[in-house]
Formats: sequence, C-alpha cells, structure tokens
Amino acid sequence: MSEAGADAPVGSRLTDTVAAYSTRALAGGTTIAALFVLLVAGAIFPDSIAGTLADVLTSRNTLASALRLSVPIAFAALGGIFAEKSGVINIGLEGLLIISAFTAIYVTDLTGGIWIGFVGGVLASTLLAGLFAIVTIEFRADQIIAGLAVWLIALGLAPFASQVIYNGPNTPTVPTPDAISVPVLAELPFFGALFSASPSVYLLFLSVALSWYVFERTAFGRWIRASGENPKALDTAGVSVRGVRYAAVLLSGVLAGMGGSAFSLDLGQFTGNGPTMVNGKGFIAIVAYLFGNYNPVGAFLSTLLFAGLDAIQTVLQLRGIGIPRQLIRITPFVVVIVVLALVGRTQTPEAAGDHYESGEE
Amino acid sequence: MSAADRARTVLTRLVEASATERVLISTAALVLSILIGTAIVLVAGRMTTCAATDAVYYLGTGFCYDPVVVFDRLFLGALGEPFSGNWSPDGQFAVTLRETTLLVFTGLSVAVAFRAGIFNIGPQVQMVVGAMATAVAVLWASSFVSGALGTVLLIPFGVLVGAVFGGLYGTLPGLLKAYADANEVITTIMLNFIATGVTLYLVSGPFKDPGSAANQTVPLPEFARFPSLLFGSRQDFSLVAFAIGILAIGGLYYVIEHTAFGYDVRTSGIQPEAAEYGGVDAAKTVVASLTLSGALGGVAGAMYVMMILGTFQTGLPSYGFDGITVSILAGNNPLGVGVAALLFGILKSGTTVVQFATDVPPQLVGVLRGLIILFVAMPEFFRLLGRRLSPSGPERNPVATDGGRREGETDE
Repeated sequence: MSEAGADAPVGSRLTDTVAAYSTRALAGGTTIAALFVLLVAGAIFPDSIAGTLADVLTSRNTLASALRLSVPIAFAALGGIFAEKSGVINIGLEGLLIISAFTAIYVTDLTGGIWIGFVGGVLASTLLAGLFAIVTIEFRADQIIAGLAVWLIALGLAPFASQVIYNGPNTPTVPTPDAISVPVLAELPFFGALFSASPSVYLLFLSVALSWYVFERTAFGRWIRASGENPKALDTAGVSVRGVRYAAVLLSGVLAGMGGSAFSLDLGQFTGNGPTMVNGKGFIAIVAYLFGNYNPVGAFLSTLLFAGLDAIQTVLQLRGIGIPRQLIRITPFVVVIVVLALVGRTQTPEAAGDHYESGEE
Repeated sequence: MSAADRARTVLTRLVEASATERVLISTAALVLSILIGTAIVLVAGRMTTCAATDAVYYLGTGFCYDPVVVFDRLFLGALGEPFSGNWSPDGQFAVTLRETTLLVFTGLSVAVAFRAGIFNIGPQVQMVVGAMATAVAVLWASSFVSGALGTVLLIPFGVLVGAVFGGLYGTLPGLLKAYADANEVITTIMLNFIATGVTLYLVSGPFKDPGSAANQTVPLPEFARFPSLLFGSRQDFSLVAFAIGILAIGGLYYVIEHTAFGYDVRTSGIQPEAAEYGGVDAAKTVVASLTLSGALGGVAGAMYVMMILGTFQTGLPSYGFDGITVSILAGNNPLGVGVAALLFGILKSGTTVVQFATDVPPQLVGVLRGLIILFVAMPEFFRLLGRRLSPSGPERNPVATDGGRREGETDE
C-alpha cells in the first residue's frame, strides 16, 4: 500500500496504470490459457495427472465447494473495498470474520433461530469495526497496527468466550440452513451448482451486485471514492470526510460480519483451535480485492479463483496424485504470493492510510 | 542544509520529544488493558456457572472468576512467588526468563524492520524455518562431535544455521517489497501459511523421527543443547541463551544508532523520500533490514529447539506474534525491547500459573495482547485524556509512537 507514485509526474503514473492493467490482464489471460490446455490434455489423456485435474475442474462439486469457500472471503473483500476506498485500510477483516463466526453460532445456539444468529454475528462484527473506526478516525491510530490489534483481540476473544461458555475452543453444532434449489436449472451439469446452494451464496451474489451499484451509480459511492482519493475536495464540497469514513468502516464490519456468520452457520459449528476456522481467509480477502483492483465484481472473481484453488486442492488431497497432501494444501497461498509479485502495484487510493483533519476544528 | 542533515535533525527532535512520552503511553496502555482485562474476567465469570461456594462477591454480586486472583497469579506466580519467603531461581522464574529470552529475539526482529518503516509480521514463520533448519542441521552435525567440545561447537553452529535460514526467509518478502512493491504484511502472512505446510510435510515425512508417534525430528543429544548453568535443568532455561539475548539487544542498539546501516534504516523509516534524496538505496535497505529481521527470528527458532524442546515439532508457540506486541510496546527501541520482553515473558509464563490455579481460560492473555497493541497504537487518546485532566497542559503536535510511520504519512 505504498504511495510510491504519489509525487511522480502524471506521465509516469499513467504508464504505471497501463503496466498494472496489462500485468493483470496478462495474469488473467495466462490462467485461462493454462486452464484450456489442461482441459484439452485431460480429455486426451484421462489417466494422467492432467486427466485427474480436468476431471476435478469440470466436476459440479468443485464449483459448489468453490462457491461455499468464496462466501467468507468475498464478503470480507467487499468490506475491505468499502473501508480502503474511503481511506481507511482495514487489515482487521480476519478478526471481524472470527468474531462474527463465533457470535453467529452462539446466538443461534441461544435462541434457536439461524437468522437471529446471523444478525447477531453481523452486529458483533459491526461493533468491533466501530471500535476500529473510533480508534483510527477519532484517535488517529496507525491503521495497520490497529487492524492487527482487531485481529489479535478477536483471535483471543472468540476462543476465550467459547471456553467460558462451552468449556472448549469448539462450540457444539447447531442446525444449518437448508440449500435453496431453483427447479430445472439446478439439474444443469456443472453450472447447476449455481442454482442449488446455501442462502449465503445468493446473499453474496446480491451483495456483490449491490456494492457495484453503490460505487458506480450513487452519490454515496462517489463520496467514498473522494474520501479516499482527495478528502480535501470532499470537505470543500461540504461533505463530512469523517462521516463518510465512519460509514464505510461500519459497512465493512457489516459485510465481513455477513461473511463470518454465513461461514460458520453453513458448517453449523465454530472451531477455535490455533488460527481458528477462519484460518487466514480475511487476509486472502485483502489479496482478492487488490487483485480485483477494488472493483466488487473483480474482487468476487478473484475470490472465486482462490476459492476454486482451495476446492481443487481439497479434492486432490483425497484423490492422491503423488504430491504430498501438506504441499497441495499450500497452493492457494503460493498463488497469492505469485499474484502479488505480478500485480503488487495496485491503484491504492491516494489518501489511504492517512488521517484527515477537517480545517474547522 | 542537505536532506540527510535535515532528516537527522528531524530524527533527533522526534526521539528527544517523545522518549518520556512513549514510556508514559506504554504504561498507560498496559494499565488500561489490565483494567479492561479485569472487566472481561468479571463478565466471563457471570457467563459461566460454578458452585456458590466457589464464587467471589464484589458489591453483592457473585462472580465465578476473581480478577484479583487472576492478576496476582499472572504476575507473582510468574516471578516465582517473590513474597513467599522461599524464592528460588529454579522455579517459575526460570520459565519467565526463558520466555523472555525468546521474546527478546522476536521483539528485536520486529523492531529492526519497523525502524526501516516495514511491518514484518513474519518473525513467527522465520522462527519456524530457523527452528526446523537448526533441528535438522545440528542433528546431522552431532554425529561428528561429542561431549563438552560438542556443546562448544554445536551451539554457535545451530544459532548460525537458524539465523541464516530465518534470514533467507526474511529476504524473500524483502525482495518482493523492494522490487515488486508487494505489501509486506500480506506476503509475510502468506509465507507463514506456506512455511507451516512445508515444515509439516518435512517433519511428517523425510525428517520424521521413526521412533515417535508425533510429527517431530529425532531429538538432539544432550550435549547439543544449551547448558543450564546455575539453574536447574528442569525448566529448560539457559543463562547462556539469556546472555546472547542481552548481547543482541546491545548489538542491535549499536547498529541502529551508531552505524551507517542503522542511519539508512532510521531515515528510511521516518522520511523515505528524504532518505532516498540523501543517497540511501531504498531497495537495498528494505532487503537488508528484512533479512536482519528474519535472522533474529531464526535465532529465536534455534533457541527454541536447542534450549526448550530439544527437537522440532509443528505448532510452535506464538513467540513471533508476541514479538510484534513487544516491539510496539517498546516503541521499536532495542533497549525498550528488553523491558517489554520481560513484561511479556511474565505474561506468558504467568499464563500457565493462572491455568493451574484458576478456571479462567488461558486465551485471556491473547486478548490482553491485542488490547495492548490497540492502545499503544492510539497515543492521541492518552494525550486527549491528559489534556482533559490538566487543561493548562501545552498543546503539542502529535508525535508518532514509532519509526514505523508509513510512507507519506503526515501529521496534519
């Protein structure tokens, strides 16, 4: 999130933009080409590794589990976009996922209502995001350090609460929501997975579309962009930068909370050992929206890419292709590093990470 | 006045103006965290159930957990009961010093990167890599030597191996940051997951101890481990390791404050543009400071293997993440790291005492860790509080708590 280009002349920044765009296009193009080659090779030699891979890739189950795995990451990524576009880098998404994942299960267990639990999880995450907002906007804390603190607090608090309430880091299981199936369409090969999924997947589709709409078509979306790119101009126009940033960070809490709640409710349990069940999904979300260049749809597609990799590696672990399980498991993380090395230079909002003081005080 | 001179003046003023303030802010953050920790313990004590006779009563309300006991056990227990009359160094106190030793290295690791303006989340993983490398290399080397000579040769060898491998794993995010502009926070976190997977594979496959059911390497022979001088061997603490820690604190302080490299690091952290204008090679400084940072993390791993465990197992305790807290609490000053590491050594060692003496879940210390970071990150809060308490106090410009001011950050 450096601002290396901040003082560079316009010409060189333009070149940077073109370069960043073309590496992104290149990376995307390479992926599609590689997939194509793999599918063809798999069709010709069904018994080779390529054959196994192609089989896994075209399986309906792979798409279904990729969508399921996308839910927490994509929701958190959407939240991260809102916060960072407004000028507040929210690295604590992981913490928001953890706290909402636990609270959703706890409230569901307490009340018996899955949707009440879902709302409870969203509330918990929004509260924590509110704390983060106060600390960074009101008290000008370093956003990165405060975000890290949010992660660590949630990482301690959720297993702590689970231990206090359930005498162990894992909660008991609660009922999971039923999948919603669209008649006829759900029968489609491969793409049928899109039409027979948990409600959270549809909620995600809706949120991606809504976020896109907010950014592209509404005044609030423009304010958020201005708050991150040129807060002074927004201030001059008579809109409170502080207000916009508070709204954006709280919104990131709501979205991440939806992701965390949906994640644990779909599985029916919160597991809090080690890095908890969230296990880095909040950080992958950050990479996903960087790779998606702060575009909600782009972030969703890159999430699907990472989640797809994760889904494939899980299947491959079970099938066995001669590569040790522990090494297959790390592929999504390796891909993230490679992607970052290729498109590290993202179009970070100009004022992201900076405090803004309105001149009125 | 050249840019370098100007940067130096800014630096001096910044350090002088904020040294006392930093201590005050860190202390206030600590006290506030403990207060909130108390509240959490009380609330948790209401949420759980216990026999009425086990409960403590404050203001007529019964609580299952007693915060006074918790913090008493946490601090006094960790110091080996200093007021009990029969204090001995060979008790929980040795454990505290042992934890302190490791935290000194991970704390210094974070501090050196922070001073260069880089946020290295990686000490945890650099420690894992260093520990794995040390366990394997020392085991291999231990077949050539033995006895006291073996100890004298193998200890430095093991520490060196840990430093080299940890350092290399720090170079990687350094190169990614310097030449691909990849955010180091994300790359180090990803490298964390990668190293965890790779070491798990290595320790469950090629380097697995065939005689053990656990995923671990073959245990090191006794002579390949740190000798426990003066302290009983039971607590796995060695004064030698502790002394190396003290030397590292002094050494890093000297390097940062009195060498050309340290100057590059400090100026890059405070004013990257000015530093580059003044002739500092930014990319080289980033790579070098992250390598040094990784090497310190790797040494922590070597110490863990050769002093505490005697073998490498997956799932190392979170010394690396605690190192972040230690460094932030210390204002990224190497000397401060010594004090903060002792404090966190007490917290970590005290956790086991609390676990033993009460029913309070040990994750409480993790929450405290997060709270301390949060409060240290918001000095403005305490300044505001200070101004409220003494309205006549001078209005001061905000000063960053650390050298970790991010690029382009301004104090408007």
